[in-house]
Amino acid sequence: MRLVELSRSEHAGLRIRDDLVEASAASQHLIPIVVSEFRKAAIQYPIVFSKNPETGRFAPYVMNGLGLQENLFWSGTEMDVAYVPLNVRRLPFYVGTNDDAPDTNVLCIDLDNPCLDGSGGKRIVNPDGSDSAYLKEMLSILGALVAGKAATEQFIATALSLDLLTPILLDIVLDDGTPLQVEGLYSLDEEKFRQLDEGEIAKLWKTGCLDLIYTVLIASGQIIKLIRLKNQRIALSRAWHSNAG
Amino acid sequence: MVSPVRSICIVGGGTAGWLTAGIIAARHASESGRGLQITLVESETIGIVGVGEGTWPTMRTTLKKIGISETDFFRECNASFKQGAKFARWVTGEESDFYYHPLVLPQGFPSLDLAPFWTKYSDEHADAPSFSDAVCFQQAVCELGLAPKLITSPEYAGVANYAYHLDAGRFAAFIRDHCVKNLGIRHIVDDVTDVVKKDTGDIDYVETSKSGRLGGDLFIDCSGFRSLLLGQTMGVPFVECSDVLFIDRALAMQVPYDDAQSDIVPHTVSVAQKHGWIWDIGLQSRRGVGYVFSSNHTTADAALAELRAYVGDEHRDLQPREIRIVPGHRQTFWKGNCVAVGLAGGFLEPLEASALVLIELSADMISTMMPATRETMDIVAKRFNETTRYRWDRIIDFLKLHYILSKRTDSKFWIDNRDPDSIPDSLKEQMELWRYRAPGDQDFTSNNEMFPAASYQYVLFGMGFRMDTRVSPLDRDIGTAQRAFAQNETLKVKWTKTLPKNRDLINKIKELGLQKI
Repeated sequence: MRLVELSRSEHAGLRIRDDLVEASAASQHLIPIVVSEFRKAAIQYPIVFSKNPETGRFAPYVMNGLGLQENLFWSGTEMDVAYVPLNVRRLPFYVGTNDDAPDTNVLCIDLDNPCLDGSGGKRIVNPDGSDSAYLKEMLSILGALVAGKAATEQFIATALSLDLLTPILLDIVLDDGTPLQVEGLYSLDEEKFRQLDEGEIAKLWKTGCLDLIYTVLIASGQIIKLIRLKNQRIALSRAWHSNAG
Repeated sequence: MVSPVRSICIVGGGTAGWLTAGIIAARHASESGRGLQITLVESETIGIVGVGEGTWPTMRTTLKKIGISETDFFRECNASFKQGAKFARWVTGEESDFYYHPLVLPQGFPSLDLAPFWTKYSDEHADAPSFSDAVCFQQAVCELGLAPKLITSPEYAGVANYAYHLDAGRFAAFIRDHCVKNLGIRHIVDDVTDVVKKDTGDIDYVETSKSGRLGGDLFIDCSGFRSLLLGQTMGVPFVECSDVLFIDRALAMQVPYDDAQSDIVPHTVSVAQKHGWIWDIGLQSRRGVGYVFSSNHTTADAALAELRAYVGDEHRDLQPREIRIVPGHRQTFWKGNCVAVGLAGGFLEPLEASALVLIELSADMISTMMPATRETMDIVAKRFNETTRYRWDRIIDFLKLHYILSKRTDSKFWIDNRDPDSIPDSLKEQMELWRYRAPGDQDFTSNNEMFPAASYQYVLFGMGFRMDTRVSPLDRDIGTAQRAFAQNETLKVKWTKTLPKNRDLINKIKELGLQKI
């Protein structure tokens, strides 16, 4: 990865192949999301929580796979999903911070991302030097991520203060006999949530957290989809080996 | 007619007093107003001894139990991680001579015992790794100055087993604030002027300068070396053990770091000297360094010269604090309605950090066995005394073990330590058995053991003890052992690559905090 601040003049000649953007997620088993994405994410993925390895702070993620580097939704050319998270769609752009002014956001681009390709159809600026429609779309995605950060942190803080986060324990054996183990993933504790008193529920409702909690609880059922996809892969691989044999 | 136990009076507010108060209050719901009422009286004029700066891993459970956040503990107590002890120059006295007593058990222990396999291998290979390095990945972690956990590890959970180094003064104040604020303990700052007994021989009340009489159904003596209640008032005699453990004096210093961000050593360092040994404990803002020695073998001046040589010329202005130790313990620890915790019950040299853990274990035992009535208290007292005495005896054995295997001949201190008359019979018996087989759980069968068999293995083989493996054949196939040795190497590679530097993680914990889950 080679992150640099985007310069409309210096990077004016860059071409981007947007059909390659999703390939960046081909071996990502978790993708971070913000709370404003929860409803859309819930129709496709389990929403889980995990700790940032650098800070130990919790953040929400969608789950693409059951093991490290496994993306069961990756078809080989694209994410075969109803909703692609903002953190994939924004690529190859990033929001960075400036060392001199840590509170200001800086638009950055990863010059090593494979979607930067001379044959690409997307450009950053129009011939007249103004921002292209493509760049404007990227800016609005990044804007949604930046805007969602505080609300997401607030939701996590609320969940932690009510002791609602709990490590995920899965008791599943895959079709090839391997027991399924997940490590370092957390979900919402439904039992504890049901025990909250009226006052606490009212507070959750007023702050918009109640919707989010239900969304996460419903999305947790999507784990079945991942297990099915995983078992299909196992069956395919068996078929392949028996044919080869 | 029964006399229920409803109130407790603790005399003394050092680490012993406040930890005991916290442990009992947390279990007996003192903050609810319906549980046991606890009063702690401490003097403003008498300071705390406060050299207990090393804990056992038990402290993690203790802090968690009394409702303290590990993040707050790191922020308030100048605390750091401790992953066991490194013993340098104990065997031959040479510069290169060292071994570890880590806190992680040997690979596969106790279902698999690698000691005979390691012994056989090192009999045949001159370049064999040391025992602690061959069977435990933690030594490699310590040698690189790494922390035992990650910022993503929950509070009190670790990748490798760990304990703490802490600033005893700050720790006592930290537990005090928690006890007063959250656990409903009544705190009285006053001097105790008299202890008054009833006709029955029980303590009736303690008289204070300003606060009048403080009564209680049970009195806990945390008054330190003075042993105001148990020793002075109840007249329980002191059992000295200076015939076994010779160390009776300490010179302690607080040594600043060269740089505020210097590495913090993640284990206790114990460096043997001519007439004792030096402890070196890395806290966040300073090191605690001290020389414990035998005043029968050297003078304070000569000892100070050795200590100064260790800390270096740049710290020549530091003035040591001298502490006199009478090694030993009270004959009993609970008499009538009075029980002693901490130094009031006894003290040994700080080797293997037994002081704080004994406070935790004693307070825990008082708390779980808390007699409901005065009438049943004597039964509890009898059991408490048996268990506590057993624990002291095991600690004495284990500390002595460190000395009897040394090959040092550079002073009478080391030679005298190997005199058979100075070795307890219980230890002699164990040593006879261990000539042919390694220490195992079968040698330690009480529910109240202090040190696991693995600790004896680490010290025994670290000190260069050789077992005769020819007599009894290896009881397992060599393949299992080889896999365990290989697994240890894998863990070494994995964790030395993954774990952060000790100082870096502590900084991060102070800044960002650890999650509770």
